[in-house]
Amino acid sequence: MATITIDIISKLFRSRAYPEGLLALDNIRFGVADREFVCLVGPSGCGKSTVLNLIGGLDRNYTGRIEIDSRPLSHDGSHPVRVGYVFQEPRLLPWLTVRKNIYFALESIGVPHSEWRQRTETWLEKVGLAGFADSHPHELSGGMQQRSAIARAFAVDPEILLMDEPFSGLDELTARSMRQQILELWDTTRKTVLFVTHNSFEASYLADRILIMSPRPGRLRQEMKVELPRPRNYESSQLFEFSVQVTRLLTHGGNGM
Amino acid sequence: MATADQSAAEVSQTKQSALIPEGVTYRLVSVLLMIAAWQVISILVSPKYVPGPWSTFIAVAKHAGSGALLKNFLATIVRMLSSFALSMIVGVTLGTLMGLFRRGERMLDLWVMVGLTVPSLCYVIISFLWLGLNDRAAILAISWTTFPSIAINIWQGVKAIDQRLIDMARVFRASRWRRTVRVVLPQVLPYLMAATRFGLGVVWKVTVLVELLGRSDGIGYMLNYSFQMFNMPDVFAWTLSFTVFMVIIELGILKPLERKLFRWRPEISG
Repeated sequence: MATITIDIISKLFRSRAYPEGLLALDNIRFGVADREFVCLVGPSGCGKSTVLNLIGGLDRNYTGRIEIDSRPLSHDGSHPVRVGYVFQEPRLLPWLTVRKNIYFALESIGVPHSEWRQRTETWLEKVGLAGFADSHPHELSGGMQQRSAIARAFAVDPEILLMDEPFSGLDELTARSMRQQILELWDTTRKTVLFVTHNSFEASYLADRILIMSPRPGRLRQEMKVELPRPRNYESSQLFEFSVQVTRLLTHGGNGM
Repeated sequence: MATADQSAAEVSQTKQSALIPEGVTYRLVSVLLMIAAWQVISILVSPKYVPGPWSTFIAVAKHAGSGALLKNFLATIVRMLSSFALSMIVGVTLGTLMGLFRRGERMLDLWVMVGLTVPSLCYVIISFLWLGLNDRAAILAISWTTFPSIAINIWQGVKAIDQRLIDMARVFRASRWRRTVRVVLPQVLPYLMAATRFGLGVVWKVTVLVELLGRSDGIGYMLNYSFQMFNMPDVFAWTLSFTVFMVIIELGILKPLERKLFRWRPEISG
């Protein structure tokens, strides 16, 4: 059971420009149920990536409590669960092949050596990169690199999947096919997913539930359940109308946005 | 000088994509052309001042036969390798400190720049005055001249490390050791390679200078001795032997190493 419970009282960024600390997050409280697909939507700079960093353990500096699978996330180095993370850029090690990149993640997270080959090939096939296991990242297009990163995140068999605007760096056509593919992958594995985006249509298409954040300091403004049936239809007018509502909520009532 | 041009032409070929057969053909042709040009210059100027290829090769053979070639080469190489090792240790340490810590950078960058611009002659003279006309002073002088360029290369390399790749490794729970060895080190490797190339180049030159000024054996000493005796074929012979050796290191060790380490790099097509 991989539930996420977030109770961030405050998160400050200290720097020379803001020595007392810039309040990035203010009272972020929400949960993600087991196997739920939740999207965190908000304008640029609202702190949604920061939330993901805190859950993923990349940033331990905050006041509050995060629990995954009812186990608390400590403020030191350890992390209670396996996390699959897809960043905005593919973040593949350029000197390794795609296969070796996935092996790197599998090895780091502690998967036994005997399982590496099979997991890698299974997931590369699922993302449509079966013949490219031994290519280097620079030989692949941006979309293919991002798909490799997705295969890597799934291959470690994570308990939670965190995705930080993974498709915002891609052209619309590629992004569209990736969104459909991510839903297919999620459907077969039903992992708990927290997906960050600024794109209200993308959020509406993907999520069971949408959490809308306001600009800095990041606060949770609204929660919307997405009642549309699955499998989702990209061309559905219901989907479009729903996304318009989300956009309206995103832009209305902000700080003059 | 013909021999210096010859080595420069060969060493400046940086085409990483050259397959071995292709590179050998081009380089062989350039070598033969250079030897031909050398012969022409020798005839045009005067064989007394610019010995031709043939008399030079004979002089080299003479030194090889008498054992002088080996003896002096060994002396020079020992000095070179010791200084190179010392400069790398100091240079890499300083460069890493400067790259990682802003305070370190601010404190050291001025001195590294000063170290870089002071003429090597100053280090040589000061070392000999300080420690005497011996090999300890020689190694000190050579290392002192060399380590700033190594430090600068490593400094830039460490600053260029992509934190995003380290974060990716952290999120997949890679230990600090694994992150350093498998994510940080490969990124610094190209800079280490550049530092090595640069460092070796400087070490070569300064070693010869140091030998000329204060030692009684080695290539530099022999070069100066031949010059004082106005034995031009010998001068050319020592220069040529030196150059050939350096080219062998470059083509036999450094280039293959670089090819192997950086096979994954995309080729830049012009």
